[in-house]
Amino acid sequence: MTDDSSSGREVSTAGRARITQDVIGGLVLSMAGAFFAWQAWDLPLGSPGAMGPGMLPMSVAVLIAIGGAVLATTGLVAGGEVMTMPHLRGMFFIIGGIVLFGLTIRSLGLVVAGPVSMIFASAATDEMRPLETSVFAVCITVFCILLFKYALGLPIPVVAFM
Amino acid sequence: MDLFSNLAIGFGVAFTAQNLLLCFTGCMIGTLVGVLPGVGPVATIAMLLPLTFGLDPTGALIMLAGIYYGAQYGGSTTAILVNIPGEATSVVTTLDGHQMARQGRAGAALGIAALGSFFAGCVATLFIAAMGQPLTRLAQLFGPAEYFSLMIMGLVFSTVLARGSIFKAGLMVLLGLMFATVGTDLETGQERMTLGIPRLSDGIDFAPLAMGIFGFAEIIRNLESPEARDVLHDRIGRLLPSWDDIRQSAPAVLRGTLIGGLLGILPGNGAVLGPFASYAMEKKLAKDPSRFGRGAIEGVAGPESANNAGAQTAFIPLLTLGIPPNAVMALMVGAMTIHGVIPGPQVMTKNPELFWGMIASMWIGNAMLVIINMPLVGIWVKLLKVPYRLLFPAILVFCCIGIYSINNSVEDLYFTAFFAVVGYVLIKLGYEPAPLLLGFVLGKLMEEKLRQSLILSRGSFATFIDRPISAGLLAVAAIMLIVALLPSINRKREVAFQD
Amino acid sequence: MKKTSMLAAAVAVSIAVPAFAQTYPTKPITMVVPFAAGGPTDIIARIVAEPMSRTLGRQIVIENVAGAGGTTGITRASVAAPDGYTIMMGHMGTHGAAPALYLKLKYDPARDFAPVGLAAETPIIIVASKTHPANDLKEFIAWARAEGDKANHAHAGVGSVSHSTGILLDSILGTRPTLIPYTGTGPALNDMMSGQVDYMTDQIVNLVSQINAGTIKAFAIATRVRSAALPGLPTTREAGLDNYEVSAWNAIFAPKGTPPEIVAVLNDALVKALDDPDARKRLDELGAVVPDATGRTPAALQKLVESEVARWKTVLTQATATAKP
Repeated sequence: MTDDSSSGREVSTAGRARITQDVIGGLVLSMAGAFFAWQAWDLPLGSPGAMGPGMLPMSVAVLIAIGGAVLATTGLVAGGEVMTMPHLRGMFFIIGGIVLFGLTIRSLGLVVAGPVSMIFASAATDEMRPLETSVFAVCITVFCILLFKYALGLPIPVVAFM
Repeated sequence: MDLFSNLAIGFGVAFTAQNLLLCFTGCMIGTLVGVLPGVGPVATIAMLLPLTFGLDPTGALIMLAGIYYGAQYGGSTTAILVNIPGEATSVVTTLDGHQMARQGRAGAALGIAALGSFFAGCVATLFIAAMGQPLTRLAQLFGPAEYFSLMIMGLVFSTVLARGSIFKAGLMVLLGLMFATVGTDLETGQERMTLGIPRLSDGIDFAPLAMGIFGFAEIIRNLESPEARDVLHDRIGRLLPSWDDIRQSAPAVLRGTLIGGLLGILPGNGAVLGPFASYAMEKKLAKDPSRFGRGAIEGVAGPESANNAGAQTAFIPLLTLGIPPNAVMALMVGAMTIHGVIPGPQVMTKNPELFWGMIASMWIGNAMLVIINMPLVGIWVKLLKVPYRLLFPAILVFCCIGIYSINNSVEDLYFTAFFAVVGYVLIKLGYEPAPLLLGFVLGKLMEEKLRQSLILSRGSFATFIDRPISAGLLAVAAIMLIVALLPSINRKREVAFQD
Repeated sequence: MKKTSMLAAAVAVSIAVPAFAQTYPTKPITMVVPFAAGGPTDIIARIVAEPMSRTLGRQIVIENVAGAGGTTGITRASVAAPDGYTIMMGHMGTHGAAPALYLKLKYDPARDFAPVGLAAETPIIIVASKTHPANDLKEFIAWARAEGDKANHAHAGVGSVSHSTGILLDSILGTRPTLIPYTGTGPALNDMMSGQVDYMTDQIVNLVSQINAGTIKAFAIATRVRSAALPGLPTTREAGLDNYEVSAWNAIFAPKGTPPEIVAVLNDALVKALDDPDARKRLDELGAVVPDATGRTPAALQKLVESEVARWKTVLTQATATAKP
């Protein structure tokens, strides 16, 4: 799923330390490990023979933190693939679409949640055409209502505000 | 004979009008979704999983299995026609399949892929039916210690067989384990790592994690780099391969089926190696290896057969041991658990209709796929032209409805959004999400079995070595790890992947 | 105003077909089942909901809201509008043991609900592996006392019926075996069949096929009378253990403040459902025990809840005192 052989990305070489995927990736994991360890701090560890609730979370968190640090260090020394900018626009509109759906589904129902989340998410790309997207969103919503509510019988709110 | 009476039960179940229809529907929508560029079987199943929630367990699993085969076929079609692999295993198919398509032999490539897969599917179905029983007897010997060792072996396999860096795959397994520890402690009932969120006291649900990390993260990634959908506008040519093609492919299909089927049984995603191994073998055995990469039909037939055989025998560890060998099977575990079926040795005895019905439907599903795919190739090509700007919002709303419906919970949607961010960040940082999912799924079971074993042995770790099966499994895991870490083998592995 | 409604309530309860019944229900009723579909509580809810829907003339829709030993669903349903359109299927755990197990529980089983009526009790059975040395309950008790912490007692997870009733058994016997936690009855049974663990207690529904298949051994059923599903199995009293009588009961509750007229209509529908021959047959097949006439009233349910909360508080706080932070 992460094939990028064709994209011809820049590759940093050894000796020219640069901000590579592994450096950032290692740091991110180290921080995540530290966060998990902090969360698991209060849990009793027990002993290896009689493990407490905290034994596995704490050991895994520490391993993640150490592993991340190792990765970042080797990345710094050995180089590797250069980090590319994340697609913030895509993230914002996709995540926003999910959250909008969550905010509206129980209070307003699928009639509103469907088109609103779809139209919002569509803005993630320049290719979006307002009229086409709106018509399409309404059609898909009608289809979803027929499929999920009537064909599959899920207890999903359709028109909650009335 | 047991085998035939069992298969009779299975076909009795699968041949009901409802289940045939579910199998057909599954294959159909699986193919439809799987044929979309960038959407592989894992994402397809993650997205379509909620479709099955309203069904009975047997029907749901039959439909899911149909979706799985459908998605595999769909992925191969895309790989051949437009050179976009839907998953790791169809990377191999692009090599010679797409070359064949460029030479106007797309029909032959699609045809041999379908026929080879059908043959592999038939053999694998018989194999599962024959070997399922002995494997279940073996599973009765499995206590907590053996299961723990098996989990360890599965985790080692999953990192070893990962495509990229083994070290990074290992880190992802650990992260999966970490997510698995969230929730109420098994032994004391104490809440762990829940951040005070009540919804997390039962742990992180499988669907929000899988759909966030696979489905939505993949959508964001596709938005980032819009694939050039160079759909071939030329006609596809004759649909059926010629006799020459079949004669040339037959040995490759046989070997591919054998390799893929055997690797598929390994409880650590052996199936993913099948097509690579098959391709490497065909190239080695060929009189003129230089034809490979330029449209050699064996290079499509062998790996496609291996892929399908492995996809099917991967059900053995799931159904008889309760071990999901890969991300797709991990999704199957989620599906079974949602339906109140605990995957494991008891499935066969407790739900024989489900077990044998599913096996029978594997064969039916394969047959249906040939029927669906052979004549309808032209339509798949047209579907490839659905603009992504319309496709992804539709996928989003389908996923949201699905996730909400699992537990009628809005919080699950927010968890999904969170895991979409996590998944996308991981992709950007060059981590593979599949080992994470395996770590997550195996992690819960692993901790449970570890602690049960240690309580039963009153704290002695010797229990894992004293028990012969457990010791054997640990030894295999250790050997695999050593072999994988040997640099020479490592290099070979990389060569096989880049070839 | 208040007086009239109280009067109406009195009338409603006494004649059971109040004028109000003609207006309620006018739309489908949601019954929250706090466990996943397919579990014992869900099955019982679906069995009684069907004839109840017929009596009420409106569909009862089951909504499964699983989580935290059933307390997630009950918490959500307890704050629903008390208009009779949201009811719930509570059980021994959610309305008995929960206050002792969940320190942050957001409801009080005895105060925050309008009890509708007891639906069914599923008896608890003491079972052991096929190879267990004891052949009857007396031998088992002697064995458990002699083994001490060498005995392996399996349960289906903290907060489960199997856990609570098992702890109760151990405290009555005065034994302290080693507890082996599982995440459900299935895996625990699996290990008991292969002899990895010694014994456990659980609801008859989960065990009856295994006992009949002979893959596990049953010692006694913890009810006053024998079960029709397992007529050969003695009661705990018959087998020589007087005070171990326990069952996982399932009962319908409405949110606090639901008008008594509506509760009466629901109770009437429940009583009729319990006498429905088809529902009765399906409950019998599960080994569930249907309460007699005196046990079906809202008042009887209220009494049951209060006594259960008190009982589990004593038993469970003793046993889990060390485990809780």
